[in-house]
Amino acid sequence: MSITTMWKNSSEGSDRLEYLQNLVTEFQDTDNEEAKEQVLANLANFAYDPKNMEYLRELQVLDLFLDMLTEENENFVEFGIGGLCNLSVDPECRDTILHNSGISLVTNCLSSQREETVLSAITTLMNLTTPLSRAEITDPAILQCMLRFSLSESPRLRNLAGVFLQDCCAKEQVAQTEQEMHGQQTAVGIPLAEGEISATLSPSVHSLHCG
Amino acid sequence: MALPSNNKMSCWAAPGVYKHHEQRKVCISRPKYRDGRKDKAVKVYTINLESRYVMVQGVPAIGVMTELVQLCALYGVVEEYRPLDEYPAEEFTEVYLIKFQKLTSARAAKRNMDEKSFYGGVLHMCYVPEYESVEDTRLKLLDRRRYIMRAAQNKGTVEKPTTSNTDRQSNMTLSQSHEMPRNDNNTGGNSNFNYYSDFTLLPLPPQEQHYHMGQQGTELREDKMGTLHNAVSNTNQQSEYNSVSQTSSENIQKNRQQRPTQNQTPMVRFVPRTTQLEKRKHRKEEAAGQTLTDLSEVNETLIGPKLPEPPKIDMEDESMNTTVCLIRNTMKRVSIPRRKMDKPSIHSLTLTKLSLSLSNVLKTAGQIICNIY
Repeated sequence: MSITTMWKNSSEGSDRLEYLQNLVTEFQDTDNEEAKEQVLANLANFAYDPKNMEYLRELQVLDLFLDMLTEENENFVEFGIGGLCNLSVDPECRDTILHNSGISLVTNCLSSQREETVLSAITTLMNLTTPLSRAEITDPAILQCMLRFSLSESPRLRNLAGVFLQDCCAKEQVAQTEQEMHGQQTAVGIPLAEGEISATLSPSVHSLHCG
Repeated sequence: MALPSNNKMSCWAAPGVYKHHEQRKVCISRPKYRDGRKDKAVKVYTINLESRYVMVQGVPAIGVMTELVQLCALYGVVEEYRPLDEYPAEEFTEVYLIKFQKLTSARAAKRNMDEKSFYGGVLHMCYVPEYESVEDTRLKLLDRRRYIMRAAQNKGTVEKPTTSNTDRQSNMTLSQSHEMPRNDNNTGGNSNFNYYSDFTLLPLPPQEQHYHMGQQGTELREDKMGTLHNAVSNTNQQSEYNSVSQTSSENIQKNRQQRPTQNQTPMVRFVPRTTQLEKRKHRKEEAAGQTLTDLSEVNETLIGPKLPEPPKIDMEDESMNTTVCLIRNTMKRVSIPRRKMDKPSIHSLTLTKLSLSLSNVLKTAGQIICNIY
């Protein structure tokens, strides 16, 4: 009987915790990048199920995901931010991320080349929005970035940025940032990545950002 | 080439080919302990990747759209569907867009239909969130948040009972330890009393045993002073009172211990000793009330030799004799409770002397009356 069958048949928390512990242990012990990616993707997918959230918190997988955000390997970053996106809906996980300076780490992912990474970062920022953290999350630089995303080619990016601007920010704040963006001629804020994510902006602004 | 931005993109617009549509290569290098039944690619699914909109590739181009939609409908309500003619497809195959009413339906359909054979072809299912509107995306995120909150609340409510269950379990273990004798009591009724037999259980005494114990003791035992009753009866009485006090306290304990068992039906009904004494006293009072005319000795079962009866004096007159009898009986009644209680200060000999003196008085009185007449 494979581990998967046992996993599905057994609903005991101890088995679940043990299996997740094995994954974390393998990630820490192995030097094989491919194996690390596989394990990281596994953990990020397990983070989607609320049943596993408590165990992942216990195993400090949140810290592991946060550490991945500063890695060179783009797969590590994508899977790490994906895991945070899945976990950050849980209030306890959200607070843990906030306490570990998660906002700045997640904000850095907005500049990623990969669409999935950026989408996960936007969703994570929305999940991290609390009355206390709102001021930091609706920083003008982040708002400007979101405004640029709202004009992107990618429908998903457009939709997500639109939801962010509508739900997390005050209308006055958005309007003020829009005005500032139109008035500004210099590159300010979070730089857009080249290639996939290129916002459809006015030629002058576009050349400044992508030049 | 940049496409014109359109905030109101609908599912009827020209489809774009995105990376997440591509079927990635399955991973074959997983260790056994985390190798699932089905080989899968290394990919992370988030709420952004999932959608009510699903694209089905590899549908044989033989006019089986209806069958495909019927198959999808097995997993949930299908709101819209259409072929994606503009989407690049393999030869002799078609691509369809299916819009489910719920994300869970789309999830189930993808899980069950992906890589499945369908009219000779192999289906490839993938989410197409790019077909969502802003409102669709917002609702999707909101549903996900609500689901997690509900799961967290349920867990909290489950945990509380579990903690309370653990408390209950600990209470149960405690109560089980208390209930162990109770259960034993349930299973074997006598075991209830066996459990307590070391402490307080006494057999139901005969009603007159106490009364006659005193008599026995007074007759059989002799103190240093040579008097039969005092010491022995005192010691007996004291031992009895000690035992009574002990039994009373033990009875209280017994009652406390046995309170939980009141719901159960014990085999033998235990009556505390104090109740027995009270009952006996009540019976004696009733008997004393009845024996104004009758001699109490007639109903009593006597154990041991009788005391010498006081000599009956014939007063040579019926009325006088009746009076004497009444006095004698009254004296007896007065003497008996005294014997049962603590202080048997009056000896039977003294009583006899008193009765004799009284009878002499009565005799003298009778003579005087006769002289008068």
